[in-house]
Amino acid sequence: MLAPPAASCGEWLAGGFTEKELYMDTIGADIVLKTLAEEGVDVIFGYPGANTLPLNDRLTDSPIRHYLMRHEQAAAHAADGYARATGKVGVCLSTSGPGATNMVTGIATAYMDSTPMVAITAQVNSDLWGRDAFQETDIIGITMPITKHSFMVRDVNQIASSIRQAFQLASTGRPGPVLVDIPKDILSARCGDQPKKALTATTKRIDNPEQIERIAQALNRSERPVLLIGGGVKLGDACVQMSELVQRAQAPFVTTMMGIGSVSSANGFNLGFIGTHGNELANRMIHQSDFILALGARFTERSTSVVSEFAPLATVAQIDIDPTSIGKNIKVDLPFVGDIQEALAALIPLIVSRERDAWLERIRTDRQTLEEKLIDGGCGQAGILIRKVQAAMPRETIVVPDVGLNQIWTVRTWQSHSPRSLLTSGGMGTMGFSVPAAIGARVGAPDRDVVVICGDGGFYMNIQELATISYYRLPIKIVVINNGHLGMIRQMQDLFYDARFTTSDLGDRVDLVAVARGFGIPAERVAVDEDPAEAIARMSAAEGPYMVEAMVDPDNYVYPIIPPGCSNVEMISGK
Amino acid sequence: MAIEEHTISLLVNNQPGVLSRIAGVFSSRGYNIRSLCVAETINPEVSRITLTSRAESDFTEKIKKQLDKLVDVISVTDFTGAPAVQRELMLIRLRLTEENRKEVLRAIDLFGCRVVAMSEGCLIMEITANKDKTAAILKYFEPFGVEEMNRTGAIAVFRQAREG
Repeated sequence: MLAPPAASCGEWLAGGFTEKELYMDTIGADIVLKTLAEEGVDVIFGYPGANTLPLNDRLTDSPIRHYLMRHEQAAAHAADGYARATGKVGVCLSTSGPGATNMVTGIATAYMDSTPMVAITAQVNSDLWGRDAFQETDIIGITMPITKHSFMVRDVNQIASSIRQAFQLASTGRPGPVLVDIPKDILSARCGDQPKKALTATTKRIDNPEQIERIAQALNRSERPVLLIGGGVKLGDACVQMSELVQRAQAPFVTTMMGIGSVSSANGFNLGFIGTHGNELANRMIHQSDFILALGARFTERSTSVVSEFAPLATVAQIDIDPTSIGKNIKVDLPFVGDIQEALAALIPLIVSRERDAWLERIRTDRQTLEEKLIDGGCGQAGILIRKVQAAMPRETIVVPDVGLNQIWTVRTWQSHSPRSLLTSGGMGTMGFSVPAAIGARVGAPDRDVVVICGDGGFYMNIQELATISYYRLPIKIVVINNGHLGMIRQMQDLFYDARFTTSDLGDRVDLVAVARGFGIPAERVAVDEDPAEAIARMSAAEGPYMVEAMVDPDNYVYPIIPPGCSNVEMISGK
Repeated sequence: MAIEEHTISLLVNNQPGVLSRIAGVFSSRGYNIRSLCVAETINPEVSRITLTSRAESDFTEKIKKQLDKLVDVISVTDFTGAPAVQRELMLIRLRLTEENRKEVLRAIDLFGCRVVAMSEGCLIMEITANKDKTAAILKYFEPFGVEEMNRTGAIAVFRQAREG
């Protein structure tokens, strides 16, 4: 057996393998854990099965903590939330068959939002492949379109190199999930090979400073510039440089939903986020702009609406590390492929500040008109509630919205002060993301408060994770905004399907407070039109987890929105 | 944008699952692979895949970027419109009668095809040519009674060494 658990990964690693371990007792599972530790992993989120057992067994000798979730999908979301909160690679583990397929939605969510993640799945013994063995499934085939890459480990001596490559791939370039599938017999196989040092992969980079100069000239020349900040700015750790560019260019900026929080709103240049549920000011101004510099954004249809009518007057420059994101959705005049931090470092010195009084004045006037027009920021009572929640929580709180109206209310209301404080499923729009992702976030950032803002629909989708929160005593604060409906579906039915409400009524028979208490989590119910401040204060003061169920009217929608088939300047504010 | 035929050639790691990843890049974007040819190169660890697809003119650029992202893809070359020699192999089993026998054999000779097997009432011929020519030959022989046809899809080699 291996030595008793050491105090830290570093100590454990420093010990290396003894000769006895190497030639007698080391098995594939030990190599997995040791390689993970070398990669800086201290936490994995998982769920065991017969085929993971060699790994679970060896965990007892490892300093890596394994969080036992209540569903494999939640394990993947937790690894995702961990990665979003820390910037490190998140790791999840499941068994073969249903364990692996349960992770699919979580992996796809990470893929769409470019989260660095390594998903490890145990596979049936290699002599059983292709025989429809118990819990056998071709998880590599299933996840091919939603992973950056995947490895089927066919030899115990390939474990270390496969895992190292997986981490390298997951965390470089445009980050994303990588899957490593390891058969049980390989996890159990004795081996004497000490892992070799990983080869450092070279990232292909296009080195053309002239293009950066061209982008700088175009920005300097422009009369009505708008900087478009995507999620890639946070992923590329370039928020500081991004703020610098805004200041130096004195240029207004908009974000995508994933870009929210990259740059502080405090300087008055923030116009909000663009797209279907975005801010009207942002949508109007990008439409009127004569130059757009997009950074780490791929112009999805959620942001552009009708592509042919998007920003008709603008010259478009785009900086992205992923060549396939360039020109994927709209025509780009000045593309640059490369690391966003390096690109900004080269770009900033070339920018000259110039006065654009007419443009900034137009923005100021429009901002005022639009703000006056929009009551409660377009989010009604729910928006007021979220503002109160934020006011009661410390400044560095991480907020994790779910998907649906609650997500739009949150991203439009919550003021993000730092890059890793709003974690949301943007690309995939996965309901049920919030609770498990919050678990990962809290585990990764134990010194920060974590608040979930969830609808009743999404809450049901991973409600079993209340057991995980309760078991590990994670002080996660959960606000369930309960309107008894699938609110966003209901709003769309109301506006675009002649108010024929079908399949969107969740009813009011479930006592969520009793459910939460049943899981061992203190909870209370408030109606948002009565003052929820006291309940929020109790939640904020609670030592451990706490749930507030806030009852809102099902007609509390979000406005303005862009109807399907309309352009970004055709937002509507009511029926 | 005009729809045209594209020929793309890839060097890839010779491993299980690689072809599936490449096919996925095409299918997930709604493109059909019209012909496909895979074989080991001089280096047994590397395979060459040559495939053709019909798509808009900016297709190759977009698909090339996606293929370049695959870990197992070593290089992607676009043969579309480039000075290259392209060939495919086609086998045809043709119905042979007293009436058509003479004309068929004369045409086989004229087209530079080869008879590789002959038996009662039919013959099998082999044609190696570029796609246009194999198509023309097939069209010519169809009225005589093509019982079965099979072809490999295109492979290609540049006329001269190219940089990169």
